[in-house]
Amino acid sequence: MRLTLPMLISHGRVARRMGLGPESRINMLRNILTGLVRHERIETTLARADEVRFYAEKLIDYAKKGDTDEKAMKMASFWLTEKDLVPKLFKVLAPRFETQTSSYTRMARLPNRKNLDRAKMAVLEYKGNPFPPLYPVKKENELTLINQLLKGYREERAQQSASRA
Amino acid sequence: MSCRTACQIFHRRLASTAAAAARPSAAEVRSQRSAVFSREQARQRALYPRVEKIEVTVHGPGLEGTLLIMNRGMSTPLSCARHLTDYHVTSSALALVDGEPWPLHQPLTRSCSLSLLTFKDADPSLVNQAYWRSCTALLGQVLETAFKDDFAVELLPTPEMPVTSGAFCCDVVLDPQLDSWTPSEESLRSLTRGAQQLIHQDLAWEPLEVAPSVGLEVFSHSRHKQEEVEEKAAQSSRGTVMLYRCGDHVLLSGGPLVARTGLCSQYEVTALHSLGQGPRGLLRRAQGLSLPLQLQAHHTVWRKLRQRAEKLVKVPKPEQLTPPPAEPTPPPPPPAASQ
Repeated sequence: MRLTLPMLISHGRVARRMGLGPESRINMLRNILTGLVRHERIETTLARADEVRFYAEKLIDYAKKGDTDEKAMKMASFWLTEKDLVPKLFKVLAPRFETQTSSYTRMARLPNRKNLDRAKMAVLEYKGNPFPPLYPVKKENELTLINQLLKGYREERAQQSASRA
Repeated sequence: MSCRTACQIFHRRLASTAAAAARPSAAEVRSQRSAVFSREQARQRALYPRVEKIEVTVHGPGLEGTLLIMNRGMSTPLSCARHLTDYHVTSSALALVDGEPWPLHQPLTRSCSLSLLTFKDADPSLVNQAYWRSCTALLGQVLETAFKDDFAVELLPTPEMPVTSGAFCCDVVLDPQLDSWTPSEESLRSLTRGAQQLIHQDLAWEPLEVAPSVGLEVFSHSRHKQEEVEEKAAQSSRGTVMLYRCGDHVLLSGGPLVARTGLCSQYEVTALHSLGQGPRGLLRRAQGLSLPLQLQAHHTVWRKLRQRAEKLVKVPKPEQLTPPPAEPTPPPPPPAASQ
């Protein structure tokens, strides 16, 4: 942890404060997380997306333990306010991320809100969702003219170095 | 028919004797070829006096289910592209009509399915090959017009180069007076500038499929070209040859060319190697490197590719290079100031 002047002034209270208090914060994040599990891609303010991201990843970690696990079921029923999403969490999301161990979510910035507050906005999504990609897919084509020319160049270089060796 | 062939032979005889007597100037030859080309083009267009409609199904990303009603013998794939977007007009280089490569300026003659090919397609190898061929054609055109009228320039049938060989090449026999000439950096640069002027003019490569007799008439000044026409006609299944015109330069092509010269962006003539004495004179091979407008290279990459393009490229299959027939070159014209 780096000690800065704002941190000294804040007397150790460096966490982001949101909502009306700790309980209100948790409830808000629960609602957002429920929306995320339902829609798999949501749009919210940057601060809320950033806060809820940690819980969204942690929830998947619990869900991977399976629906017979007591702790996992407790977590799922706490964080998902709409109970019809519990099966989706265990049957859809947990199998999807079986191969991954972390970074199940992706966050991207959006333009600031056009509202009076001009809040920073962000989009948060679970990876592997059926929506169009957030970022343009990078197309790499080995067969284009310039890539073919470069391929010939590389091959010639390889031949030269092989004959020299 | 027999009368016609006799006429042709007579005509060719005449042409060869005339060439032996006094070689016409390059500008005259070019204008004559262009005139014959225009005449044949007008004749072929007049074959469809009535406007008949054909249905063209366009395939491509975002174009599924597009049906265009076009005019038979009048509409080209380019006019189909004009019905779509400006992107299709500027970026398509070649068309695919019922699975066959089709030059963009050639009129459609039947209801067909059409797809427009660009340099950035998933599999652009057809376009790449056509582009390489077009660059060769451009190089030939530049070489033919770059020298003064006193120096004869004869273009030989060019071998097809794969793109991975690094450079396209154009075989040429220059005037015997120029045998001792070694091209300097500046002369290569001036050739490059000539090519870039043509690119700047954005000329179309107009295709025309003609019977061999017309081909013979177009190239009535050059015996070697006439032999090439006969050879190409014998090879093709329909007994015809493809002629292309760019500006006023008419050339014979072994395959489809891209739409226009303006598709090239970076173009450089990199080397002019001499391949030794051939049957027609000192054989030289001009080489160049080019990239289309859509795929430009950073200057560091371009420099590396350019250095590679300076090396002499070898024809992949030696039997492709047809041995030119032994024919005495026309007598050298009176000497004059070199370029």
